Amino acid sequence: MVGAEAYPNWEAIYRNNVGWVYRMLFAKVGSRPDAEDLTTEVFLAALGPLRTSASVREVRSYLVTTARTVLADHWRRTLGREITTLDENLAEPEPEDSGGGLDRLADAERILAELPENYRAVLRLRYLLGHSLKDAAGAMGVTVGNVKVLQHRALKAAARIAERIGV
Amino acid sequence: MFGARRFVENLLHQRRHGRLRVDPASDAELRTAILLRSARVGADSVREEFVSSLHQRLAAEMGEGPASVPLGRRTLIVRLGVTAAASAAVGAGLDHVLTSHAEPTPGTPQPAQQLTPDDGGWTTVARAADLPEGSSVRFDLGTVTGFVTRTHNQVRAVSGVCTHLGCQLDLDAPARTLNCPCHGATFSVTGAVVEHRLRVPLPPLPRIEAREVDGAIQVFAPPSSGG
Repeated sequence: MVGAEAYPNWEAIYRNNVGWVYRMLFAKVGSRPDAEDLTTEVFLAALGPLRTSASVREVRSYLVTTARTVLADHWRRTLGREITTLDENLAEPEPEDSGGGLDRLADAERILAELPENYRAVLRLRYLLGHSLKDAAGAMGVTVGNVKVLQHRALKAAARIAERIGV
Repeated sequence: MFGARRFVENLLHQRRHGRLRVDPASDAELRTAILLRSARVGADSVREEFVSSLHQRLAAEMGEGPASVPLGRRTLIVRLGVTAAASAAVGAGLDHVLTSHAEPTPGTPQPAQQLTPDDGGWTTVARAADLPEGSSVRFDLGTVTGFVTRTHNQVRAVSGVCTHLGCQLDLDAPARTLNCPCHGATFSVTGAVVEHRLRVPLPPLPRIEAREVDGAIQVFAPPSSGG
């Protein structure tokens, strides 16, 4: 759909936008249950006040605004401060856009590339490949206890690199 | 320190976070953990079961009457906060996108009230032939004014008085709306709030029982004031 068109009904608004709203939030929380909770909150809050005569562009813009507030509330509730935010100047999102995941993978690889081999391995296994502690230990030939210590130190090192290279 | 580890464990096991105390010095670690976890290939695709269960919940919310799915306390609080904050954040630029800037009251959308007089009776307000499918007719019984509408071959009636300050609504037949001449509120002919720019919540129009009997459209109303 193009920006100036309107949706025929609220269900079309939902169907056309639930995917990218979810992905946008998932990228900011990294967890499926949280991303599902927040997506639910966004649509519960936004659909009521939205007029279906609003254009596609306006609907998307309002959904982004609502998602920004929902995300901020989520962090204030859990941590007392916002550790990730949705960009104020977020370019108009395209529902078909699936490039966000690839961008994040590229950022992740930039960070990993600067880490020592064992740090890189543990983060790749645990975060990117989703191995359990036991499987990661087996793959690296170390104990589960070693993996716990390594992944903790590796994350600290990765965070310093992330701050330095600005991802 | 412990909070940061708990956060990371929740993330790796895809568990919801409870309230956590984390040293702000660890924020960069939390952000990096989120980035790494969300970069997993295919991790950000939305579950079809989630999409359909949320669809059902929204259908209950968007339908008329009270939602059949109870809102969690958390959702309700956030919902109120969000709508107010989002409205403030959006500012004038998106005014026309929204039906209302009003603060929703807990449990929104508000269910329509049914006007059922203690001492009422069935009163004919129109001939059935004068109310074809999709049309509306105004009636004034002295005690009650309203509009009867035939939609989906059902006869329905709503009060004709704006729920804001009591002005008499005008029928816009082509648009199938009831418009308030005082402050511009607009209701659907079946009573739902379509649009308003008030800073207070605007309830939907009360419904009035209506029926079609022997070629007559009748509403259940108090006896007319004349006798």
